Amino acid sequence: MSTSITSETGEPDSEETVLRERIAENPGPALFWLAGAAVLLALELGRIAGWITGLGSAVGFAVNVIAGIPRWIGGNVADATVPIAEYFVGDALSLLLLFGVASLLVGLAPWSAADRFDFGASPRTMALLERAAVTAVLAALAVLFVFTPVGGLVRTAAAAPFDLLSSLPTITDHEVISNRGHRTPGGGWEGTFLGLSPAVAWGIRVLLVYGYALVLIGWVWKGYEIFRTHYRQADWTPRDDTFDRFRSHYWGLFGLVVVVLFIATALWAPAVSPVPAEENIYSPYSYEVEYLEDGEVATTTIGNANLDTQSDGQNTVGPMSYDEYDRWAPLGTTPNGQDMLTHLAYGAQTSLVIGLLAIGLGGLIAVTMSLLTAYYKGIVDVLTVIASDSIISIPAFLLVMMLSVIFDQGNHVLAEPLNGGVLLGLIFAFVYWPGMWRSIRGPSLQVAEEEWVDAAKSYGQTPANTMRKHMAPYIAGYIMIYGSLLLGGVIIFTAALSFLGLGINAPTPEWGRLVSDGQSFVSTSSWHVATIPGLVIVLVVTAFNALGDGLRDAIDPEAAAGDANTDDTGAAAAGGGG
Amino acid sequence: MSQQTIHSDADVSTDSDEDAMISVRNLKTYYDEGGLLGGTPVKAVDDVSFDIRSGETLGLVGESGCGKTTLGRTLLQLEEATAGDVLFDGVDVTKLDGSELQEWRRNAQMVFQDPESSLNDRMTIGEIVREPLDVHDWKTPRERRQRVKELLATVGLQREHYYRYPHQFSGGQRQRISIARTLSLEPDFVVLDEPVSALDVSVQAEIINLLEDLQAEFGLTYLFIAHDLSVVRHICDRVAVMYLGNVMEIGPTEELFANPSNPYTHSLLSAIPEPDPTSDRERITLHGTPPNPRYPPSGCPFSTRCPTRIRPEEFRALDDELWTRLNALKNTLSERKRAELSVRERVRAAVGKDTRFGSIEELYDDLFGDLEVPPDVQSALDEIETHARNRDEDEALAVYHDAFGSVCEAETPEYYSTGDGEHRSYCHRHDEGYRSPGAVLDRRHR
Repeated sequence: MSTSITSETGEPDSEETVLRERIAENPGPALFWLAGAAVLLALELGRIAGWITGLGSAVGFAVNVIAGIPRWIGGNVADATVPIAEYFVGDALSLLLLFGVASLLVGLAPWSAADRFDFGASPRTMALLERAAVTAVLAALAVLFVFTPVGGLVRTAAAAPFDLLSSLPTITDHEVISNRGHRTPGGGWEGTFLGLSPAVAWGIRVLLVYGYALVLIGWVWKGYEIFRTHYRQADWTPRDDTFDRFRSHYWGLFGLVVVVLFIATALWAPAVSPVPAEENIYSPYSYEVEYLEDGEVATTTIGNANLDTQSDGQNTVGPMSYDEYDRWAPLGTTPNGQDMLTHLAYGAQTSLVIGLLAIGLGGLIAVTMSLLTAYYKGIVDVLTVIASDSIISIPAFLLVMMLSVIFDQGNHVLAEPLNGGVLLGLIFAFVYWPGMWRSIRGPSLQVAEEEWVDAAKSYGQTPANTMRKHMAPYIAGYIMIYGSLLLGGVIIFTAALSFLGLGINAPTPEWGRLVSDGQSFVSTSSWHVATIPGLVIVLVVTAFNALGDGLRDAIDPEAAAGDANTDDTGAAAAGGGG
Repeated sequence: MSQQTIHSDADVSTDSDEDAMISVRNLKTYYDEGGLLGGTPVKAVDDVSFDIRSGETLGLVGESGCGKTTLGRTLLQLEEATAGDVLFDGVDVTKLDGSELQEWRRNAQMVFQDPESSLNDRMTIGEIVREPLDVHDWKTPRERRQRVKELLATVGLQREHYYRYPHQFSGGQRQRISIARTLSLEPDFVVLDEPVSALDVSVQAEIINLLEDLQAEFGLTYLFIAHDLSVVRHICDRVAVMYLGNVMEIGPTEELFANPSNPYTHSLLSAIPEPDPTSDRERITLHGTPPNPRYPPSGCPFSTRCPTRIRPEEFRALDDELWTRLNALKNTLSERKRAELSVRERVRAAVGKDTRFGSIEELYDDLFGDLEVPPDVQSALDEIETHARNRDEDEALAVYHDAFGSVCEAETPEYYSTGDGEHRSYCHRHDEGYRSPGAVLDRRHR
């Protein structure tokens, strides 16, 4: 039996290849796909570079906040004890932080220095030494960055190419397809794209934005299909079935489409808005608008123009209309006279940042805790239950309001970005992780009892890898579903807070504040101010729920198979006794 | 039958240690519920000692819940031993930790009972079989893939199954995958935890043959945990019989099957269906269920159900049926003793109403109502009844033991060597002065 399959052992193993070699063997499809990707990248290079710059500054902010923690704790300890303690405690905590980062780096690195050198020490000591060495290097770098001009130089050098790139024109730029101009006395338009009317120019740009987003997604999918047909070694994986099931789930597809539109709106907010938020909302008195008045082209500040185009019941600039300054307002104006679509598009950014931060961070905490508590059980579990119950026992609305007021009033550094948007995301993460943890606790306890977890232990797999490879994939589906459902909740919650005048402060655009501002005009000609953002909120939240539904149905069928009954005592069948 | 006592466990170890690969000494594995106040632990494995020799297959049989799986898992350090040693080539592996334990795990692997649950459905067969190699950083990734494919061929699968997923395979094939994973690190010792009990009978034979082939090819040592005695008889060199966390009997397979010593082994073997219709062998039916391993009986663990329990001299002549009833009385009393009465039940008992256990009168009526009870037994029963009615179960049990108890409940037995030196049995009946279990069974059950 053991020698029955020997016919092909003799030949060299041609299938023994890694992806790189398989691509080198048959580069056609891969090159085709890469060429398409390069074209797509080139079209929007400036904007993508802009996103990277934005991401970089967000990471920089996060690093600054985290790096400030040891000093802050040190300061508190110094206040309570002796002043000199500030330096000791602060530096010790900084080193501890760096050690944590070093451990992460060592864990992620594909090779380990400990394998190269052999002092005859035990592997555990070697690993510790390696981490300590990386910590020392990191500490030296940190000192170099903070106390010498090197830091500033490096930062400028790193940012420079992206700054340069982000100034490149893209096909969806206002400069390329402009919808801002003024009528000419002759009846045409001056300053718009090809002399078209602003409405048409804006329409073309918006179509380009969403078209580009769809093509981008289609191209990624195409890439996956090329990989599947040409480069993947398995002819089938469970993921194929998941995709197939999702494809025929129309409610989920509806959710996906709306969510994609929502994300595209947030990412391309400047292109979707008829006017950039900077000019229309943040500093309207620094920019000017040209318009035709009595046959003459006149100029005024945008701020002044806004004052005349308010939608406040008496005066209305409704959807799909021009205001008296010849500005195209696809969704009308706000009670302040600002452009409504600009508010909505940038408000989508705010909602997306808050939602992703809250669900991303909260979900991360929930998954980590559920894996740890399910694997180790015992005291870790009890402590987590106590912590989560303490948070759950306070009404969520009250807790969020309390925390946001405290941080806002204290002018905490976290309350600065997005006028409190980031702070709100963090607060939501803190308030929502216990709920998410509770919902995935059952599945994770169940998967921790599977025999393959025991099997992994029996051949010495580390707990961290066991959790990652053998447990996390089984709860990923659950957390995706709960996350997408909660994301809608977070958007509503944010809107509700802004409606109450808490949450996101002006001038950062936010949907809930639009509803709040427009609620008194619902029965007037300015009905659109509260109604449109309200409908958009409903649509987006519904879409996230639909997407969650679709994901669950696509992932679920395997959950039914996970009914393994693992009993320690080997209860299998009746023995010889009775 | 030559019978001699082996007086201490120290003697046991010197007895047969020469070519032992694994020596288990006084191993105990207790499960705590993790209660803050301690509480009584479940004694899943309770003081077990035996050896496994290099290259042999040791069978471990017993009914469900007797602790055989726990014993196997403890040997592999999947459960923490409460006490005792597991010497693996002279190293006590229960004391290993960290990287030493990690390194040792290469040598000892396990095949799990349920192939549906022991393979991670989200990984390809290749990833599953490769994982132990990855964990131990075995050579280069390319060599690992090569080895996995060879292993798949070795266990009778196709090399191109590497990229398939577990649920594309049948139970028998999945068990082959599981065996391939077990072999990947070239272990010396493999625990087979009921490897075929979840499979179809036709597939069972294939897997058993595969396991035997692999043992011959790679010189493996097996601990074969099973409850299917015919499979055990087929594959094992020696067999250990477990009951309630104790090894009742251990010996060479053929001798143990043909000539069992321990009464528990007798009853276990009598449960094998006999294909011969003219056979006059009678099945020995054990009464009751195994005791709760949290509260094992005093003395011999099998004493509560033993068909050959030693009876006190003066009651030799009593009817077997009456003994059964007496035994039931004792078990009920022990249960009542352990049961916590709620406040409500205490009140009900105080005002003379029935508790959930019913009254002693009813119990007596149930047990002895339809039997002739000799006067000397009756007087003891009356005394027990008096104490029991006063809810003084301790005293009632003391009276019971005075009257009907014997060495079986009073003392833990020794391991007696029966047959050639390797065959050992855990029963008082092998002592001089008692008749052997076989003889007693012949008298009581034939």
